[in-house]
Amino acid sequence: MFDIAMTRGRWIVEERSLTGAAPHRKGGSTHVHIVRTWILVASLVGLWGVVLFGVAALKILVMSVLCAVIADMGMQIVTRRPGTGRLPRAVLTGLLFGLTLPATAPLHVAIVGSLIAIIIGQGVFGGFLHSALVGRVVVQAFFVNSLSLSGALVTSPILAPGYLLVGNLDHAEPVADYQGWLTPQPSTTAEGYKIERPVQTLRRFTQDRVPPDDGNFYEPLVRDELPPWKDTIFGLVPGGIGETCTLMLIIAGVFLIHRGYLRWQLPVTVLASAALAASIMPVNLGADYHWFPVLEVEQGRAVGLAYVFFHLTAGQLMLGAFLLAGDVVASPMRAHGQLVFGAGIGVLTIFMRLYGTLEGECYWAILIMNALVGTINRRMKRPVLGLAG
Amino acid sequence: MGRGIQTQPCSQFLVPLQFPLMSSLFNLLGPRKAFDGGLFLPDHKSVTSRRAVELLRVDGPLHVPLTVRQDLKTEPNVRVGDRVLKGERLSNSTSHESIATHAPTSGKIVELSRAWTTQDGYLPCAVLEPDGREEALPQHQGWEDESLIVQLAEHGVMCSEPRAPLHSVIKEAVAAGVTDLIVNAMETEPYLTADLRMLVEEHGRIIDVTCELADALGVSRAILALPFRHRRVVKRMEAEAHGRYVEIAAMANPYPQCQPLVLVKALLDCEIAPGGRVLDKGVIVLPLAAVVQAAEALLDDRPITHTVMTVAGDAVERAGTYRVAIGTPMRHLAERVGLVGRVAKAVCGGPLTGLAMGHEEAVVTATTKALLLFSETEPSIPVPCIHCGWCVEDCPVGIDPPSLMQLESKPNCTNLEMSHLKACLDCGLCSYVCPAQLPLGETIHRTRTRFEQQREPACLT
Repeated sequence: MFDIAMTRGRWIVEERSLTGAAPHRKGGSTHVHIVRTWILVASLVGLWGVVLFGVAALKILVMSVLCAVIADMGMQIVTRRPGTGRLPRAVLTGLLFGLTLPATAPLHVAIVGSLIAIIIGQGVFGGFLHSALVGRVVVQAFFVNSLSLSGALVTSPILAPGYLLVGNLDHAEPVADYQGWLTPQPSTTAEGYKIERPVQTLRRFTQDRVPPDDGNFYEPLVRDELPPWKDTIFGLVPGGIGETCTLMLIIAGVFLIHRGYLRWQLPVTVLASAALAASIMPVNLGADYHWFPVLEVEQGRAVGLAYVFFHLTAGQLMLGAFLLAGDVVASPMRAHGQLVFGAGIGVLTIFMRLYGTLEGECYWAILIMNALVGTINRRMKRPVLGLAG
Repeated sequence: MGRGIQTQPCSQFLVPLQFPLMSSLFNLLGPRKAFDGGLFLPDHKSVTSRRAVELLRVDGPLHVPLTVRQDLKTEPNVRVGDRVLKGERLSNSTSHESIATHAPTSGKIVELSRAWTTQDGYLPCAVLEPDGREEALPQHQGWEDESLIVQLAEHGVMCSEPRAPLHSVIKEAVAAGVTDLIVNAMETEPYLTADLRMLVEEHGRIIDVTCELADALGVSRAILALPFRHRRVVKRMEAEAHGRYVEIAAMANPYPQCQPLVLVKALLDCEIAPGGRVLDKGVIVLPLAAVVQAAEALLDDRPITHTVMTVAGDAVERAGTYRVAIGTPMRHLAERVGLVGRVAKAVCGGPLTGLAMGHEEAVVTATTKALLLFSETEPSIPVPCIHCGWCVEDCPVGIDPPSLMQLESKPNCTNLEMSHLKACLDCGLCSYVCPAQLPLGETIHRTRTRFEQQREPACLT
């Protein structure tokens, strides 16, 4: 006969726990968990940026996070609308904004940008445009010279091998014949190298009508102008703090996808459509436009493929695809919608990079697509069971 | 309208036995998810699904409800002070719809009063003081030549979905001219293991009775829907059903696959208009519990006095599946099974669709599937929608819960919005996944009820 002894527990049910609507158990992932995970992966990327660009990068990140938090507290007081979970969101906005800035940017740029991101991006646009990117494009317009990204042949610094983390970017020197970060350079006194950002090189290449070298267009570009591909993978090129390291960004994105806080469709479509656009869109070489640059083979090397690869890894696009486009509030609700959204971002980025003059083309592309999210959501509704006919 | 269902090949859901290679490939890959949305939930079944069903005897009086639903009228057959034997009638049905109730054990009727049931509130009950002798009524011989419908009614077989006596469900289905019978053994909700244990322990009887019910219904197809992930169960049932006309459908079990509308969509690819029933398309979906109870009534000729239910949750010491007498107070049941610490949440039924117990003195009824006792309440602090789209992705019918939630404050709604509200299955998945912890499912349910009452004032009377 089945027998169990009476056990320790007692039947004590409180009155209020006898009621309540289903479901009685919850999935367990709340908005706080989502934001915390995003902060975690963004700080990993930021950490690598600090290693690459030194203490200056740390200062910028800390300052932008601090200002975002202060601005958010101010907003809570002014609007008299305190909310739960707002602080982590402000931290994330500040952090993402800091990741888009180059380490050479002055601190006041970080301060002003964070304030704008919180007050305009979060307060006025209500998060429907990516707040951090609102701050980013506004400071881009305000501080063109301090951000020193535009203009022909502007060089940006990167720390030399012996000076990671502790070097000073102001002590960087331009390198005449850059062979890659790992190759020993002739000048030993400099704490860093000053070279062109790879994106700038790509833009110059397509806009300035590069003169042919022995009848080759792409080969000198890939050989002489662009850094080696390993540098762009590990982030050893100039650029924003979080923009350059492709490997770290991929790890961050895969972790988010693994946790379910980012749909894999989004980064995949962003990168795939960008690659497709870069493969097809004509570049201005010599005298006329050349379609399908991906098909170029010069001197037995598939330089067209290298050109497309640099478009993906040269900066901004990876950060945009993995950390910025997938913002929970500002991206479409369904995976189908995110396919359209991601494709738009990829194509617009490459388009603006090749034919536009705006800096931060990926950020602009994301903001433009953010503005279309409402339309995408309306158009991409799911068919309701039983109402299809 | 016609049937709307053709006998399409459902080979992607049914195990193709004719090709050994395909079959093994199918076993390797598993079935594809058969509808949009849905979610594989952490199922918490590992402990309870391994323990055999045990008969749980509870000391103390049983509060046996004298009717199974509030609107089904019965009259008591016993008076205070009577001694009843196990299986003796406690009440007689007074209408065609109603069914009789029976004494789960021998003992003395001490009182005729009322008992709280979670689904119906207070029902009249007979308080039975067991004498522990378990004297059974001698086997009745008179029903042998009776029809299946009469036998089901006499033995008091209850169906949990639709919540009606099984004989009236079958009568209605025959009148509607059903062509397909689906026995629903999916049980995709977490914690629930009663159906799974029944499949393991009563496999032969389930197939027998399914055939009998299919005969009575006059259907052309009888399908037994099983969760694919329990492969040994599927194999066993396939062997059992070999040569019979019950088809075994091994299906993926994302959460609301157990809902009849979703099951019909997945198995027969036929969609039911919002607010409609599966019967409209000539399909009848019976829960496995009803089939098992029918087996007891038809094969053993025994009245239904016990129900198989899961007792689980983190506040339960010896979680398992138990055969419990109808009318057992939940409190005694819980103390008998054993509690760990304090109970903060008591749920009758599954964690996603079940009802909070409502009253401390609730009793077990014929349709109770589970008693879940949790030691924490999971308080939720809702924040505004963050547009993550998880609820939209996971919704089994494809409605947009956040936009429907905004109807709560509106005085009226359009026909399209109303049909979306009606399409909701109340599976609770949107509230389950919502990271903003919004009460989406609850609000949709409430709004739908309000609009339905507004639109059809006749329903109120």
